[in-house]
Amino acid sequence: MSVAEKVQGVPPAVDAPRRRGRVTDEHGKRVRVWELALRYVLLLAVLALTVGPFLWQLSTSLKGPTEDIFSSPPKFLPGDPTLHNYERVADTIPVWDYALNSLKVATANVVTNCVGAALAGYALARLRYRGRRVATLVFILAMLVPVEGIIIAQFTTMRELGLNNTLVGVVLPGCIGAMNVLLMRNAFLNLPYEIEEAAFVDGANAWQRFLRIALPSVKGTLAVVAIFAFMGAWDDFLWPLIVLSDPEKFTLTIGLNYLHGTFANDERLVAAGTVIAVAPLIALFACLQRYFFRGVGEGAVKG
Amino acid sequence: MGVFILYPFVSTVVNAFTDRRTLIPGEFVGLANFRELLHDEMFWIGLRNSTLYVVGVVPALVLLPLLLALLVQKNIPGIAFFRSAFYTPVVASIVVVGLIWVWLLDERGLVNSLLETVGVGRVGFLSDQWLLLLSAMTVTVWKGLGYYMIIYLAALANVPRELHEAAAVDGAGAVRRFLTVTVPAVRSTMVLVGALSSVAAFKVFSEVYLMAGPDGGPAGEDTTLVMLVQRTGTGLTGRVGYASAISVVVFVVTVALMLLVLRADRKEDA
Amino acid sequence: MRIPRRALAAAVVALVLPLSACGSGSDDSGSTDASGKVEGDITFQTWNLRANFKPYFEGLVADFEKKYPGTHVKWVDQPAEGYADKISADAAGGTLPDVVNVSPDLVAPLAKAGLALDLDKAAAKYKKEYLPGAWASHEIPGMEGTYAFPWYLNTGPLFYNKSLFKEAGLDASKPPKTYDELFDSALELADKSDGEVATLANVPTIEDFGRYGVELMNEEGTGFAFNDAKGVELLTKYKELFDAKALDPQALTATPESSGKKFLTGAVAMNPGSALDLGNFKKQAPNLYKNIGITDQITSTGKVNMYVMGVMVNARTKQKPAAVAFAHFVTDAQNQMSFAKKVAIFPSTAGSLDDPYFTEQDGTDETRVRIAAAKSLTNAVNYTPVLFSEQMKTELRNNVAKALQGKSSPKEALDNAVKACDRLLRQQG
Repeated sequence: MSVAEKVQGVPPAVDAPRRRGRVTDEHGKRVRVWELALRYVLLLAVLALTVGPFLWQLSTSLKGPTEDIFSSPPKFLPGDPTLHNYERVADTIPVWDYALNSLKVATANVVTNCVGAALAGYALARLRYRGRRVATLVFILAMLVPVEGIIIAQFTTMRELGLNNTLVGVVLPGCIGAMNVLLMRNAFLNLPYEIEEAAFVDGANAWQRFLRIALPSVKGTLAVVAIFAFMGAWDDFLWPLIVLSDPEKFTLTIGLNYLHGTFANDERLVAAGTVIAVAPLIALFACLQRYFFRGVGEGAVKG
Repeated sequence: MGVFILYPFVSTVVNAFTDRRTLIPGEFVGLANFRELLHDEMFWIGLRNSTLYVVGVVPALVLLPLLLALLVQKNIPGIAFFRSAFYTPVVASIVVVGLIWVWLLDERGLVNSLLETVGVGRVGFLSDQWLLLLSAMTVTVWKGLGYYMIIYLAALANVPRELHEAAAVDGAGAVRRFLTVTVPAVRSTMVLVGALSSVAAFKVFSEVYLMAGPDGGPAGEDTTLVMLVQRTGTGLTGRVGYASAISVVVFVVTVALMLLVLRADRKEDA
Repeated sequence: MRIPRRALAAAVVALVLPLSACGSGSDDSGSTDASGKVEGDITFQTWNLRANFKPYFEGLVADFEKKYPGTHVKWVDQPAEGYADKISADAAGGTLPDVVNVSPDLVAPLAKAGLALDLDKAAAKYKKEYLPGAWASHEIPGMEGTYAFPWYLNTGPLFYNKSLFKEAGLDASKPPKTYDELFDSALELADKSDGEVATLANVPTIEDFGRYGVELMNEEGTGFAFNDAKGVELLTKYKELFDAKALDPQALTATPESSGKKFLTGAVAMNPGSALDLGNFKKQAPNLYKNIGITDQITSTGKVNMYVMGVMVNARTKQKPAAVAFAHFVTDAQNQMSFAKKVAIFPSTAGSLDDPYFTEQDGTDETRVRIAAAKSLTNAVNYTPVLFSEQMKTELRNNVAKALQGKSSPKEALDNAVKACDRLLRQQG
């Protein structure tokens, strides 16, 4: 069975310096002006496509009640920008309380995933024991099950554990994502084994090797896992809805659903809600992006 | 932790052979669910759409992110900003992305306003069976671009620059260099992206659900297999057993898809 | 670190648990006796009402706790989306709240699983306080008993765009009343506007079949019957409208929001709604508001459709007397009346609709709509069969769409829909 081995898909290590990450052009030929211009034109075009929709949403959310949002040709900038729609969101749902709950859940999810995925990933990549391949396979299989069909069974399990209606119950099923474990496994596999071997000869045990040598080398991958874990927890709707019963424990996505369910016709309000939902993620990513792109250099996202 | 990783899988497989419903415990029914699938028209529609999704989305997600990666590979001023910006659609939640695109493609949304301004007239992106599927695919590609771009970026870092230079000295143009140097060098990554994106595409749910609605577009013609799992298996009258049988099919096909892509790769290697 | 084997064992245990945990479904051991002291803590769950009516429900809970010292009511509200999933999980997990806001189609499976209290036994003394039709709406075919207190009723007028009617040369003061008149006007409108103006934005639903006079189920409640000649006739007519663009070409993917928008922009001439919508028209489409026509729902039976909301009591509640008392309190005449004054809904309690609030005009359109609706409620029918599940609605919608697209004949489409719904009905157990 080679799925496990192939999924990681790490291309055979080329002799290129791994730690340098991306190719730079510092010592290369000078870039011609027209080529540079063409590059920037293309970059800006793609930028418009990827970021444009978000800006349009932001613009819609800032338009006042008197402004026509359906006009043709469209008006890209609000004529009279107002935060009124955001106030209305806050009036309708306790948006800050919900955001705080989401933050708690997402933070917990980041911590458990970073710790759990690092440990499990290391175990899969480095420790020798029987059934290692089976264990890897299990994580891959877990990624393939559509969650929509099993949510009630998960809830009954949570209920047996007495964790329904708690934020812990929200965190638990996603606490160690299979995808994240595989990411960490690949990152550890990509580390040159020789260093650890040297430490092994020096008498360091598995735990010491993990903490002192392996872990510091995969910081970038950890940043990737952190972002994935935060995103996953912040965005989830159905599971928190099912686990939680108390309104004071609701997360932001549930709260935003009240908006959509109650004011589906009000594009401005829904737009304001989506901006509130997406802004923290973009902010988080902006902060972590340096580590993130370094993680990419480690080959983390390759599988 | 095994409870949450293995349990869903085992429970789905076991349920697939029962007639379990949401509030009624199931009895073993053998292969009855699978026999019913063969005669369920909606199942075949779902299989068709999930397959179409793979066919439509995977080539775009194998090729476009590679071109994008080549574009942002060179360290020119401001490139870090562009790289991050191209990644934002990946970071945003699919629900938000769905809301944004439904609003963009609305009959009176931005895209149609623009089309009308340039004289094309309005297009029913969200009402025609095929356009709906195409719109959902567009969203999937849009959201996946940044993710796979990163994967390629990492792979391109490993391509020795000397190869490019040698080819350039030989007088090869940009297109030739792309085909003769870049593509062979990142081929195994392309295979990996193909495998990952085809599995994800076959399991598509959110994009189509959000854009075509819970019914799956006109006459349910845009239903995908996982949407069918959700529709038949949830709610107070959900048929958990039957939905599990569909899940098992989805599962088997994704494993097969993955093996197929990877096997094709190995044959070329040999 | 032998994950697999241990995990497998855990998974098998976890797998067996839920299968057996909800095994004792219908042979509920709890008594239906609700006499006893009203006291203790109960939980009350509503369906997407917090965003607009928080003060009302907080006041309601406070009043109840004052009336019955020693009780404590915890109010929780769930968003619109995923409500059935939420209730399903709670029902399967044994965490259903004591008092739950439900609709008839949600009650049916819960009652069959023995989770809804039979009020004919536990609260028979309150029965006479409600409109007979409303009380009966939570009876389940094939079962004895009534499984929820009727709460608010909803019915709405049909709005139409007078200027579109005039432009087509139709008499704007005489809107269609029956389906036959509707079909004639719709074809006329489409013809005069070259297919630019559709009259309807939605495909026929099960309520339309009911209002057209189609028998929806057989008398025993064991099978569906809307594929009879009359049903086929209705669908054939809709197909004609669809081909003539008198039924909006996008009707197949319409949602209530999208059809509302179409009406606002004048692309569609008629749209069902409620008194709430008037304010929306005034704000978003002042031109339309000036030309708004208000008429009764189209019906060929003379009886309009109404929606019923219910309040059910969890059969396994630990505080049966308090839960029954609270469910009754929420739905009693006084509290329904004050709720009705907050929002465009109608009380299901006997006599409430005779209140001046529902009978005396004050010159505003809102009041006119309210009074007309209240009047039509006296013989309104909840056409949607209690046993008509979400999955069945999807089957009907998809088959209707196929007929409209011409992929199957109306007869075939309805035969298929009935066959699929019958199968789903049998599988509900």
